[in-house]
Amino acid sequence: MEEMMCYIPKTLEEALEIKSRHDVIVLAGGSDLMVSNKRTLGLAPKFDKPVMIVRNLPELRGIYINEEGECCIGAGCTSAQIAESTLCPWHLRQAASRMGAVALRNSATIAGNIANASPKGDTPGPLYMLDARVKLSSVSGSREILVSDFIVKFRTIDLRPDEMITEVIVPLSEDDFDYVFWHKVGTRKANAISKITLSQAIKFNADGTVKDYRVAATATGAKTNRSRDVESIIIGKRLSPELIEDVIKGFDDVISPRAMPEFRREATRRMIRRFLNVADTHPEGKVIDTYDGYYVVGQPEPRVL
Amino acid sequence: MVAHDISKAVRRLDAVSKSEGSVKYIADYGFEDCLWGRLVRSSIPRGIIKDIKLPEMPDGYRFITYKDIPDGGHNYLHMIATDWKCFAENDVRYVGETIGIIVGPDRTIVEDLREKIVIEYEEQEPAVSIDDGLACKGGAFINDDNIHCHLKLEVGNVDEAFRKADRIVEETIETGFQEHVYLETNGACCMPDGDGYKIYASAQCPFYIRKSIAPLLNIDPSKISVQQTTTGGAFGGKEHFPDVVCGPLLLAAYVMKKGVKMIFDREEDIENSVKRHPSKTVFRTGLDKDGNIVAMDSKVYYNVGGYLSSSFVVLQRGCFHVTGCYEFPNMRTEGFGVATNTYPSCAFRGFGAPQTLFAVETHMCHIAEMQGLDPLEYKKRYFIKQGGTTSTNGKIVEKVMIPEMLDQVLKASDYERKAKEYKWGSGKGIGISFYNHGGAFTGNGEQAIIKGRAKLHKFKDGTVEILCSQTEMGQGFHTILPKIAAHILEIPIEKVIFKDPDTSRVPDSGPTAASRSTMIVGELVERAATLMKPRYDKEEEFEVETQYEHPDGYPWDQSTFQGYAYLGYGWGVCAVEVEVDPCTGEVTTKGVWSSHDCGHLIDEMIVHGQVNGGVLQGIGWASTEVLKNVGGHFKQTSMSDYIVPTSMDCPKQGVSFVENPYEWGPFGAKGMGELVFNGSGAAYIDALSRAIGKRITAIPVPTEDVMGYMLNGKDLKEAL
Amino acid sequence: MECKEYKIEFTLNGKPVSIATNPLRRLIDVLRDDFGCLGVKEGCSEGECGACSILMNGRVVTPCLIPVGAANGQDIMTIEGIKETEKGSIIVQAFADGGAVQCGFCIPGMVIAAYYLLSRNPNPTEDEIRLGISGNICRCTGYDLIVESIKLAAKRGGEIWKR
Repeated sequence: MEEMMCYIPKTLEEALEIKSRHDVIVLAGGSDLMVSNKRTLGLAPKFDKPVMIVRNLPELRGIYINEEGECCIGAGCTSAQIAESTLCPWHLRQAASRMGAVALRNSATIAGNIANASPKGDTPGPLYMLDARVKLSSVSGSREILVSDFIVKFRTIDLRPDEMITEVIVPLSEDDFDYVFWHKVGTRKANAISKITLSQAIKFNADGTVKDYRVAATATGAKTNRSRDVESIIIGKRLSPELIEDVIKGFDDVISPRAMPEFRREATRRMIRRFLNVADTHPEGKVIDTYDGYYVVGQPEPRVL
Repeated sequence: MVAHDISKAVRRLDAVSKSEGSVKYIADYGFEDCLWGRLVRSSIPRGIIKDIKLPEMPDGYRFITYKDIPDGGHNYLHMIATDWKCFAENDVRYVGETIGIIVGPDRTIVEDLREKIVIEYEEQEPAVSIDDGLACKGGAFINDDNIHCHLKLEVGNVDEAFRKADRIVEETIETGFQEHVYLETNGACCMPDGDGYKIYASAQCPFYIRKSIAPLLNIDPSKISVQQTTTGGAFGGKEHFPDVVCGPLLLAAYVMKKGVKMIFDREEDIENSVKRHPSKTVFRTGLDKDGNIVAMDSKVYYNVGGYLSSSFVVLQRGCFHVTGCYEFPNMRTEGFGVATNTYPSCAFRGFGAPQTLFAVETHMCHIAEMQGLDPLEYKKRYFIKQGGTTSTNGKIVEKVMIPEMLDQVLKASDYERKAKEYKWGSGKGIGISFYNHGGAFTGNGEQAIIKGRAKLHKFKDGTVEILCSQTEMGQGFHTILPKIAAHILEIPIEKVIFKDPDTSRVPDSGPTAASRSTMIVGELVERAATLMKPRYDKEEEFEVETQYEHPDGYPWDQSTFQGYAYLGYGWGVCAVEVEVDPCTGEVTTKGVWSSHDCGHLIDEMIVHGQVNGGVLQGIGWASTEVLKNVGGHFKQTSMSDYIVPTSMDCPKQGVSFVENPYEWGPFGAKGMGELVFNGSGAAYIDALSRAIGKRITAIPVPTEDVMGYMLNGKDLKEAL
Repeated sequence: MECKEYKIEFTLNGKPVSIATNPLRRLIDVLRDDFGCLGVKEGCSEGECGACSILMNGRVVTPCLIPVGAANGQDIMTIEGIKETEKGSIIVQAFADGGAVQCGFCIPGMVIAAYYLLSRNPNPTEDEIRLGISGNICRCTGYDLIVESIKLAAKRGGEIWKR
C-alpha cells in the first residue's frame, strides 16, 4: 500500500527546509485540523496532503517585547500562554482567555487561529484592531504583512507554499488608548463559539477631541470587519450623539452578517453606542463593558486558571 | 427498628471506581474475535430507494440489510408499537433511517467501505414541522391525515362554560427538539452464545431490547440474554433507542456467526438518535368578567417523526399533565401525534409532561400579566389540593404541599421583594413555576402491563444479592436499592450485592423509566427484605420474591383514559432570577431555587444531585439548546453547536424539600428523576419575559432570540 | 492513503514508553487501544466535552485533538497515573464523599481538571472552580456537587496543593 509521509521536525530550520521541498499541511495545536479531518472513533484522521507537526518547536513558543516596543508572539504560543502573559495586549488576552474550553486553550495556537481564517475566530478581532502583523518565514527569508491583509477572505490566506507563520507582532496595546472595550457574545458563558465579538479602543487629545478610535467585529461577515474610514468619522472631532450615530451607521454598512442579521447588527450598534457614550463622559478607569452590571473600574486581568 | 434515618447520605457504591476511571463502559470492553459494525443510513428525509451500489467487498466484510432476515423473521422493532422497521426496505421516512449494517474485522476498512456505498433515491417532499405534518406536505404517509395517534379528555363541560364566559383568550405555546447528550454515546455488542445470543449494551431497559429484537430472527426473547454495561447517562435516550442499535447487530451476528460491536461517535449519535418531541399547545381559555378561569381547552400536538413506536404513551402523559398543578372547573384537551419526516421522537426525562407543563405555566403567566397581575398571585387561585379532580376525572390521593414548598422558595429567593422591585422590562426579572410528575406507569399499568418482580438471594456468608432488571445510568439506583435492603435487614450496605442486570439471571422488574424504580421496585425490595428479615439468621441460603400489586379503590380505564392516572405525584416549585444585557440580549442566570416533594428521601445527596442536574437540563432546554431541523436534517450535529450548559452558566442552586411520605413507596419515597426537569424552563422563561417586558411563547430562546423579542416582541400587558 | 509508521516515545504516567505507529493517529486512540488507559473517555471527538482530559507536560489537554506524533518526547499523565498520586487520591475521595459522581463518564476528565486547577490555585473560590471545570461537560449533576467536592478536596489537601 502506498504510504504518506508525516514530518515531525525538531527545529524551525528543519521545518522550513521541509516546507521548501514538500507541500505539507502544518499542524500545531490540532484543535481545528484534527476535528475537520476526523473520521469515526478509533480511526486516524484522514488528510489529503502530508502533515508536518510543529506543536513542540521551541522556537515558536516565545513571547517578548522587541526594540520598537512591539509585542512579539511565537506562532506556536497557545491561547492559555497568551491569556496568562502580561506582555500581551489586553484585548488579545481577553480573546485568548475566552477561546473554547480550558483544555483547548492549552493546545490551540495563535497561528492556527489566524491561518484557519474563520470569521468566528477569536484572536483576529483584536489583531486587526491593533494593526498586528504576521511574520512569514521560509528558507529564503521572511516577510511581514498585516493580519488583516494576510486573511484574504473566508478560509483563504496569503501564504506561499514554502512559507510558515513564525511570529505575530502586535505594535499597539491598551496603553495606547484611554478606554478599551472587548465583549464576546458566545453561545454560552464558557466553552463557547462567538456569535459576535466586538473590540474597541479610543484615545482622546488633551482638548477633548478624539485622537484615535478603533473598532473590529468578528462573526459579522465572511471575515473580521474593520474600517479605517468609519473610524475616521470621529477622529479629530469631539464626540456628539450625531457623530456617534454616523459611526454606527458607517460600521453597519461595513458588516455583512448572513445568519442572525438582525441580532448581530443591533448588538453591534448598541455596543458601539454604549462604548462611545460612556467614554465621552471620561469616567475613572479604563475598561468599558456592555452595561453597568459589567462596568469595571480599573483594568481587570483576563480570567485565567 | 431502623438504626438511623434512611435519608442520611451514604457514599455511592460506584463513586470511587468511576472517579478512578476503572469502570468499564461498553467502549472499554475488548471482545475477542469480534467484528466492527457501522450503520448505513438514509441521507434523505423521504423517498424511494432506487439502487444501492456497493464497493467490492473484501473477504470477511459484508453489507447486511432486511433481505438477510431469515424466513419467518419480522423486520420490525417492538417498541410499544411495532411500526418502526429495523431496516428500511423500499422507502425511507427520515434522515438517519437504518438501511443496512456493514461489518468486518478492521474498523478502518469498514469505514472506508461505508464511505464508498452509494445509494440512489427518488426523493419526495418531506414534512418536517408539526405544521408540515398537519398540512400533509408531500402527501400524507400515515392514514390520510398524518395523525399517528390521538386522544381526548374532558372534565365538566367546556363548551357550556365557554358560552357563559365573558371572553375567551387564545394562545399557542411551542417547544423544540431536545437532544439528550448523555456523555457516553450509544454502543452495543452482540455475540452468538450457544443456540442464542448475548448482548452487551449501554441501555436503560435490558428486557425491552430482547423483546424488541427477537422477532427479527423469529426466536423466543429468552434466547437472547442482555447484559447491561455501565451506562454513561441516558435520560430516556437509552430507553428504547438501544433496540435500534441492537437489532442490526443481532442480524449481523446471525449472518456472520460472529460477535459484532458498534460504538457511535458523537456526531453520528446526535444526527441519528431519538429526541424530545417538539410540541405545540393551542389554548383557548374562558375567563369571567373578573378575569377568573372558567374553562381551559387545549389542543396538544407532538412531532412524532417517521414512526409511532412509544409516542402515543408520551402524548398521553403530555395530555394528562396539561392542567399542571391547577384545577379548573371545566377542562378539555385533545392530543395529536403528528407524523413527520424527522427522526422518530422518543423518551426524554419527563416523557411528554415537560412540554405541556411549560405550556400551561407560560399561558397562566400571560393571562395574569395581561391583567397587570403578578403571575404568582394569579396561579395561587387555582392550585389543586388533595381530593381535587385531575384532567382524567381522577382525584389527587395525597396531600399537596405546594403552599409549604412555595413558602420555602419565596424565602430562599426573596421573590416577593424582587418581583415588586424589578419592573417589567427593567432588565432584571424573577420568575416562578409549579409542576408535578405522575410517578410510575399510568393507571394500573404497573400491575396490568409490567407485573414487576424482584428477588433477594441470601448466601451462606450473609451477603444478599438483589435480583431485578433496574439499571444504573447515573441516577444512583444501584446505591438506593442496596440501601433499602440493608436498612430493612439491618446489615451493612457492603453486604448487599447489586450487579448490572443480565436478563438471563434476573427477573423482569420492568424498565428503568417513568420515575418508577424507587417508587415501585424499591417497594418490591423493601417488601422482599421484610420477608427475608425473620429468616435471615435462621437459614443459610434462600431466596424471596415479590411482585407488584396495585392498591384497590383507584380505578383506571386505559381505553377511555378515565380515572386515577397516578397514585402519587412528585411536586415542585422553582424560582429563577435573571439579568439581561441591554446591549446584547445575553441572559445571566443570577439564581435558581427549588423545592420538591418526593415523599421521603431515600438518600438526600443523591436526590440533591438529581435536582441540580434536572433543573439545569430544564434551563438548557429553554435557553441555549437549539436543535433545528431544516429540510429533514438536524442543523446542530456536534457538541460545539448543540449548546448544553457548562459550570459557568448557572450559579449554585438553592435546594429544599418537603417531607410528605407516600403511602405505597419504600420508606415513603416517590419518583423524582423526571419531576426535577419539569419546571425550571418555565421559571426561567417567566423571569426572562418579565426582565425584557415581552411575551415569550416558544422555547428555546438563545441570545439572538432575546434580542428579537426585545425589538419586536409583544408587551406583557397586551391582550391575548 | 495510510501514513508511514514512526517510532514515538513519550513518558506515560511516569514511565517511558514507545510505539511504532502512524503519527497522525489520535493520542486518545493510542492511549486507549495501545496502552490500555481506558479511563480516558471519548465524549465528543472535538475538544468540547473534556471527558478525555489528560495532562501533557503538566497542562490539561484533550487527546482527541492531538496526533500522537505531537506527543513525542512529552510527559503524559492520564487518570490511571493521577489516581495513584496523593493529590489524585484526595480528589477521588472528595468526589465520592461530596456526591460529585452520577453516570461517571465525565468524571475521570473532571478529576484531571480539578487536579490541574488545584495545582495552580490551591484555594480557589466558587467562581474559580466553575471556571476551572468549564471545559468539562457534565449532563447529570448540574455541577454543584462537583464544585462542592473540589472545595472539599482543596480543604482536605491543604498544604499538599502548594507542593
